[in-house]
Amino acid sequence: MDIPYTVTSRPDTGLYNAKIGIWLFLASEVMLFGGLFSAYIFLRVGADYPWPVWDLDVKLGFWNTVFLIISSVTVVMAWASIKLRKYTQYKLCMLATIACAAIFMVNKSMEYAKKFQHYAVKLTDGTILTGHLPQGYQVKFENVDALELTIVGSNKAVDADPVNHVLSSVVGDVPKFKFPSGEEKELNKATFGELRKSMRDAAFAKMQDERAKMIEAAEKAASVATTDFAKYEAARKLTIAKNYHSLSDTKVKLIPSAPLKIAAKPSQFFGYTDTSLTFVDGTIATGKLVDDKMTLEVDGVDTRAVAQSEKSLAFDHRYLGEAWQKAFVANRDHHIADFEKKYPTRDKAKSATLQKESLFYKEFHSAEPPAAGEAHGGKHGAEAHAPADSHGHEAHHPTVVIEKKDITFFSNFTPKLNTYYAIYFTLTGLHGLHVVAGAGVLAYFLFFNGRMLREDPEHLANRVEVGGLFWHFVDLVWIFLFPLLYLL
Amino acid sequence: MSDNIEEIQKSVRKYIIIGIALLALSGFTVWLSTVELPTHGLNILVGMIVATFKASLVALIFMHLNHERPIIYKVLAFTVAFAIVLFVLFIVSAQDPLVFEGFYNRNE
Repeated sequence: MDIPYTVTSRPDTGLYNAKIGIWLFLASEVMLFGGLFSAYIFLRVGADYPWPVWDLDVKLGFWNTVFLIISSVTVVMAWASIKLRKYTQYKLCMLATIACAAIFMVNKSMEYAKKFQHYAVKLTDGTILTGHLPQGYQVKFENVDALELTIVGSNKAVDADPVNHVLSSVVGDVPKFKFPSGEEKELNKATFGELRKSMRDAAFAKMQDERAKMIEAAEKAASVATTDFAKYEAARKLTIAKNYHSLSDTKVKLIPSAPLKIAAKPSQFFGYTDTSLTFVDGTIATGKLVDDKMTLEVDGVDTRAVAQSEKSLAFDHRYLGEAWQKAFVANRDHHIADFEKKYPTRDKAKSATLQKESLFYKEFHSAEPPAAGEAHGGKHGAEAHAPADSHGHEAHHPTVVIEKKDITFFSNFTPKLNTYYAIYFTLTGLHGLHVVAGAGVLAYFLFFNGRMLREDPEHLANRVEVGGLFWHFVDLVWIFLFPLLYLL
Repeated sequence: MSDNIEEIQKSVRKYIIIGIALLALSGFTVWLSTVELPTHGLNILVGMIVATFKASLVALIFMHLNHERPIIYKVLAFTVAFAIVLFVLFIVSAQDPLVFEGFYNRNE
């Protein structure tokens, strides 16, 4: 069966059918992205933190803009080339379009990867330190001499599962454990399964025993009841006894044959004290807390939430110290003086750029603070932020060891960090999917529609036009995304 | 869309010129964002005006919206109207009576 109006126009619309179809689809796409742009506006208007401006790699974003614009030109040229029957030029233009899409996606994934490895640590006074965690972040325990498991009676969200949740954080070889039966065994799926089964069986036997006792007591009460009320009470108790089916939780202690060392990531535990660590499966390891400090290679100090920026906790003697404080103050005062000279009539407090440049110190180009007088390296914004990490970041940043009591929150630069990164990943992620899908459709036309090119070029021209319309839309979305997320 | 060969030949030149213009405007947008206008809101406004101009170039020239059939404009008129509503929706939130005044500011 032939699909009608793939080449010729339908009389009532004056268009071939696919074109009406793609425009209706694009109209719904405008609504999809429009909703997300609307969310962006709401999040930005309601943000209770300085909205990140020039925080992403602008150079990378700009090059991506360039590649998308070039691809928009090449895809419309591809369509024109078929119309003009220049088939080699058509193929080259399509190839160029797909290549641009590929470069765009490679750049995007590099940008994402960088965000996943970059961390922000919020201190108790509101200071935010940004940087890298070369060793990750782990809470370390030593001399762990027991694991207390809670095997719950009925289905609950938290149930002991030490094989999956505890053993992965044990440092070194896992020793054998002394089970409640007295045997020394390896802790694995099979042995823990047996243990759980025996504990459940014991709990079940205990429950049946209790129920039998309750029934016996209720029946005895019924036999001696004389008044109506006593009979009623006894019957009620009997019903309760018959319906009694509460399996109690069982606590089990596993003793390792040699004390354990544990290093757990925050996602692996609920909380800890100086002597115990509670894992997410409810298992409690008792031992001694030896280290819960965070080793951070600092590449930025954001003091915008601190009332007196020079007194930020970041410049405490335990952390960056006095020399970096001096460098910070010199940089801050330099920017303020510069601003006052350039814009004498403007309000300093209202300039977001000044707030950022003076209070978000990112001039960490060496492990040591700059000597007096050369504090300001002349680098701003993204340039100062540019990753020195591609060539060995250890040497370029000071390392601080932050005490846990000073940290209120930390996260890598993912949606968890703030609403800006939430909407950034939503919008660019959805846009990236459109790039992949659009390039896939164009690649299909190029590689699988060779026969149509020879036999029915007008039909293929229409296909390319429709695919191209979608591609231009993807470019159009990026035209707004680039300034909104990278620049303004 | 015209199928006239001569017109298409002419428009190829136009596509390249528009492409170069878009690249130049992108560079301009980046430069503009480093200029400190009286308020940052003004920076956003000007940046969005430039972006809208770039978007219209793409829509009018690359997507051939400068000479399309009436039915497409009818479809797009709805889209544009709803999109504008979405973008100004936040103004309504300023009228929201459910404003949290803080724990300590209530007169009791």
